[in-house]
Amino acid sequence: MGAGRGSGLVVISRSASFADSPAPGARRNTARLTDCQTAPFPPVSHLTMKRLAILFSLVFASAAFAADEDYSPGPDAMVKEGVPQGKVTQHKWSSEIFPGTERDYWVYVPAQYDGSNPACVMVFQDGGGFVRENGAFRAPTVFDNLIASGDMPVTIGIFINPGVVPPAKEGQQPRKNRSFEYDTLSDQYARFLLEEILPEVAKDYKLTGNPDCRAICGNSSGGICAFTVAWERPDEFHKVISHIGSFTNIRGGHVYPALIRKTDPKPIKVFLQDGENDLDNLHGNWPLANQQMALALEFSGYDYEFIMGTGKHSGRHGGSIFPETLRWLWSDWKKLKP
Amino acid sequence: MKLTIPCLLVHLTLLRRSFGGQALLSAIILTMFTNFTIAQDMPLSQVLIDGEDWEPIAKGFNFTDGLSTDAEGNLYFSDVKGGTAVFKVDLEGKTSEFIKDAPGISGLQWGSDDRLYACVAKEQRVVVFDKEGNETELVNEVRPNDLVVTHDGNLYFTMTPTKEIRRIDPEGKMTVVSEGVVNKPNGITLSRDQGTLAVSDHGGKHVWAFRIEKDGSLSSPGNYMEMRTPVKDPEIAKGDGMATDVHGRYYVTTAEGLQMFDPTGRLGGVIATPDPSMGLVSACFAGPDHAYLHVANGGTIYRRKTKTRGALFFEKPEEAEPLAARPMPK
Repeated sequence: MGAGRGSGLVVISRSASFADSPAPGARRNTARLTDCQTAPFPPVSHLTMKRLAILFSLVFASAAFAADEDYSPGPDAMVKEGVPQGKVTQHKWSSEIFPGTERDYWVYVPAQYDGSNPACVMVFQDGGGFVRENGAFRAPTVFDNLIASGDMPVTIGIFINPGVVPPAKEGQQPRKNRSFEYDTLSDQYARFLLEEILPEVAKDYKLTGNPDCRAICGNSSGGICAFTVAWERPDEFHKVISHIGSFTNIRGGHVYPALIRKTDPKPIKVFLQDGENDLDNLHGNWPLANQQMALALEFSGYDYEFIMGTGKHSGRHGGSIFPETLRWLWSDWKKLKP
Repeated sequence: MKLTIPCLLVHLTLLRRSFGGQALLSAIILTMFTNFTIAQDMPLSQVLIDGEDWEPIAKGFNFTDGLSTDAEGNLYFSDVKGGTAVFKVDLEGKTSEFIKDAPGISGLQWGSDDRLYACVAKEQRVVVFDKEGNETELVNEVRPNDLVVTHDGNLYFTMTPTKEIRRIDPEGKMTVVSEGVVNKPNGITLSRDQGTLAVSDHGGKHVWAFRIEKDGSLSSPGNYMEMRTPVKDPEIAKGDGMATDVHGRYYVTTAEGLQMFDPTGRLGGVIATPDPSMGLVSACFAGPDHAYLHVANGGTIYRRKTKTRGALFFEKPEEAEPLAARPMPK
């Protein structure tokens, strides 16, 4: 039928960097979504760092439901000849802060790390997905390319899976601790990072203690978890990336927009991505929740970026723009001392 | 700026109107391309049936408690204050005295040995009845509230005043398996595969999960589920009797109603108490196919038909059944 579906792109941002100089990969992916748009984006010169900019395009594409699948990793997520490649190692961790849980985690160390200076740190929830070579994000390869091009600092990536309490007997299922760890509004996950994982990784590598040089990233419940870690410990983490973040009432996370508006602003730089076709279920409505987050961050004067695409509850859109997201997140890195 | 956000809302509304006809395609694509795993969402609509409400099936008691079922789906319960018997509601809905001269029972459950285990709160004993009603004492000088019995014959019971969970092993030996973790341990149930023990806190707002070790001890405590609490008492949910269904969802009676959690500990919804003027203290799936949720609500037992079935711990442990694919929201 001719009704089709809409596809649109919303960018709400205090800074214009995404519109200013999109990476080839990001431009390709956003441009594809707006092929049929009747009006081009406003000239980027209209946007300033201090001004709210909303770019809104609405088109009705004929190819129904193509949007989410149209997002795919760009050139910066591909291995490039001549770019030094970092090393990824896999580890296991048994936690005391989450009693009885076990999990895998991966550590990415860039080729440029030589141990002479502390490295910046970036932590990922659901780490196994981010570290995968053929996944939506391919973080190690993106790190290789962006560190080599000087778009981000020498950064050690720590990719952590959620915990499970393994079964005691054969035939039993593990107790999945993901929702408890990621969706709960408390400092427990931050303590897990600061008291267990970071000290363990720091046995082998020099890690920065500068919160400006510490970032945390996640999808869905891992996205709200990233925000919670920085919200609870702004003395430790200043940079947050949330894709399709679950700022909904899974375990009370829907209150963040209200908290942000009535709390003395914290020194946290936040990137949010969501899609119009994200979830609407018993816990809440993801697109509306992320808009509430963006406008609350705007209201309280945070340094933030919000990208609303047409994707569903998947990492595809976040993955397609991931290099550009990192450029924005680390845009200040040359001024920082890890 | 003032126009843009409402525009987006209109846009979303338009999207939804054109959505229905393509729901199936969308569901297929969603299944194919969602590239990281998320837990399945479990709203109340997957359990409750439109038009079905609570119906009283046994009335005129003082304080009903200890709901339990057998393989056929008969319901057993006690009248903990004042009653002197274990009562049975059969599949025709007829109530009778099943065991006479058994006062003050607060928890009941059939074991895989076809015996009915009971917390005799009033006499500070845990006992077991055979099918003829003959009683054997398991332990005395204890403060039992509620119990659950695994398929392999481990009995776990809560001692609310002393913050304890105790175990009686198949040989009859009693051990303390948790002390001081749960403030007022009360209701108690298992995951469908019987690897996890869940205990509700009557003096807090969490349902705690423990791993059951091979030797029957408990480890890995986690305040896994957060119950909704009354506005006037935001820290105390009054968690009480518990049940589990075949999909691994947990049910717990509370001051706010019967709360349902998915297997990953996320609140799925709160089912209203039939008579809010009376306490809600025990829940159990029983009746035909064990598809009827039963609650003890003051002097009355209510039931309502559901789309799910209860997990039966006297049966061999099984993995939680996956739910059928959910239609996209309208």
